[in-house]
Amino acid sequence: MNRWKQYIPEGMQDFLPVECYNKRKTEECLRRIFFMNGYDEVETPIFEYFDVFADGNTTIAQEQLFKIPETGGRILVLRPDITTPIARIAATKLKNSGLPLRLFYISSVYRYEELQMGKQRDIAQGGIELLGVPGPEADAEVISIAIQALLELGLRDFQIDIGQVEFFKGLIEEAALDEQQAEDIRSLIDQKNILALESYLKNVDMPAGTKKVLLDLPNLYGGADMLERALSLTENPRCINAVRNIRQVYGILCDYELDKYITFDLGMVHSLNYYTGIIFRGITRELGYPICGGGRYDRLVSEFGYDIPATGVALGIKRILIALERQKGLDKIPPADILFVFEEGERNSAFRYLQKLRRKGKRVEVFMETGCDSDPVSYARRRGIERIFRVGERYFEEIIVEDGPDGDDCAG
Amino acid sequence: MVTIALAKGRLADEAVELFQKSGILCNKPDDFSRKLIFHSEDGSIRFILVKPSDVPTYVEYGAADAGIAGKDTLLEEGRAIYEMLDLGFGKCRMVVAGFPEKKDIWITNAHTRVATKYPNITRSYFSRQGESVEIIRLNGSVELGPLIGLSDVIVDIVESGRTLRENGLVVLEEICPISARLVVNRVSLKVKDRELRSIMDKIQKVLEEQNNG
Repeated sequence: MNRWKQYIPEGMQDFLPVECYNKRKTEECLRRIFFMNGYDEVETPIFEYFDVFADGNTTIAQEQLFKIPETGGRILVLRPDITTPIARIAATKLKNSGLPLRLFYISSVYRYEELQMGKQRDIAQGGIELLGVPGPEADAEVISIAIQALLELGLRDFQIDIGQVEFFKGLIEEAALDEQQAEDIRSLIDQKNILALESYLKNVDMPAGTKKVLLDLPNLYGGADMLERALSLTENPRCINAVRNIRQVYGILCDYELDKYITFDLGMVHSLNYYTGIIFRGITRELGYPICGGGRYDRLVSEFGYDIPATGVALGIKRILIALERQKGLDKIPPADILFVFEEGERNSAFRYLQKLRRKGKRVEVFMETGCDSDPVSYARRRGIERIFRVGERYFEEIIVEDGPDGDDCAG
Repeated sequence: MVTIALAKGRLADEAVELFQKSGILCNKPDDFSRKLIFHSEDGSIRFILVKPSDVPTYVEYGAADAGIAGKDTLLEEGRAIYEMLDLGFGKCRMVVAGFPEKKDIWITNAHTRVATKYPNITRSYFSRQGESVEIIRLNGSVELGPLIGLSDVIVDIVESGRTLRENGLVVLEEICPISARLVVNRVSLKVKDRELRSIMDKIQKVLEEQNNG
């Protein structure tokens, strides 16, 4: 047999019953939480024109896109995120629907990534976008929904690390740096590489005060007291507004009694051409990389011709599943409640009866002979089913399946 | 518990010495060179010994919370990790080396062939210079490249420069200085803040004493 027939491409995954069961439960939990917060679900096409994602106004590099050349047409790409298509929808089909728009999605996105644990090429995400609201109330809502979802999923011991890109952007403006210098400094701050930053800044001409704050930036992370320290460092209005903005969001989250999940990092400076205000990541001891991330992206929708602010979050479903599995193990699939066995002549009445049971919420399986198990009892034992109903012309019996040796081994 | 990945070989020896000086480890474990895993005496730190180029990988995945690796490896791997401390040992330079005069100017005049163990560093260095080069990836004895005519120049780390001189090669351009670094997983820094902070503070104290002494 052609051996490629038996394999799947790298970065893709089959979800076998237990994994699929847990994945679906996670998705349903997210769907419920988003829905209960007033968000409506949307679905966007699995591939779109490359142009939608090409503007550099996204977090995804061109190299990460799965491209499909359409013969005689334009280049298509598998959607690398859902936020951009939602911005497209908001600016076109929902333009006259009024604001705010509260939309959510539960879908896979596709990115060509270097493979690693939890970093697949098919990335299942659940996320929300809150469009049309500029203030901290919107950012706090999005963060609070992420927390609600993680709590509801049973994750303990996580934190949401919040930053604000305007703090860094204010300093860069103050320092009057060119693009390359700004990028070099950004990358060193992103790596918290203080020594290299120090030696880099030695050779850059800028006000001494600005330099000092930039040097301090990798260390500006921690609890709420860090924000006070940040404020004391600078008089730059853009920076001060950034910290005030974080404090407002934090104040709202305190009112929601969610403050114990919040930490801060002003040195979080990734995807700066995309984010315009608050940014955040959810992290847990269970996993070496974030389980969710989001922030404010006020310029994206205007790329599609509709100038409205927006903020949102995406949760990585696979990553959450890994964290949950490490924390407490995955849930088992509940076995059928009843195994149904009937004589051929009783098919009609038996079927009616078992449909009645199913309508009452019982999971009912019909026993079928495969030669794998010698009899219904050993099948029930193997499948963890506790009750068997047997129906014949003159009898109806219920068998309670006692624990016993597992059924016959079918592997042979 | 905190897991620290050490780059097997000389860097690990120096790292253990540093951990001893800073009071994190009391003794060098017996049979050190053949160990894969060992613990600090109080059990709070697990050390794992891995291939140098794998240190950034372990740390990025969070399989190790922190690691000690050469800057050359970090640059080559380009992982999303925090680079917290320059440990000052394992010092050398990343350079472009070759014959003082380019010998073979006919066939390869239009582009330079570079032999190296560090294709990513090489690509990024030459693209910043605006030069397109052909990169030939080797796994060792890179100096042979120009000698045999496989490449025009090499990109490699140089400590004293003796190997180069012995082969008639010279440093043509210096790319950057290299030394051992302490790197930390991005999530661990936040969620194991106390443990990691205490380790880093102890190391930093030793480094400062060394610099002043």
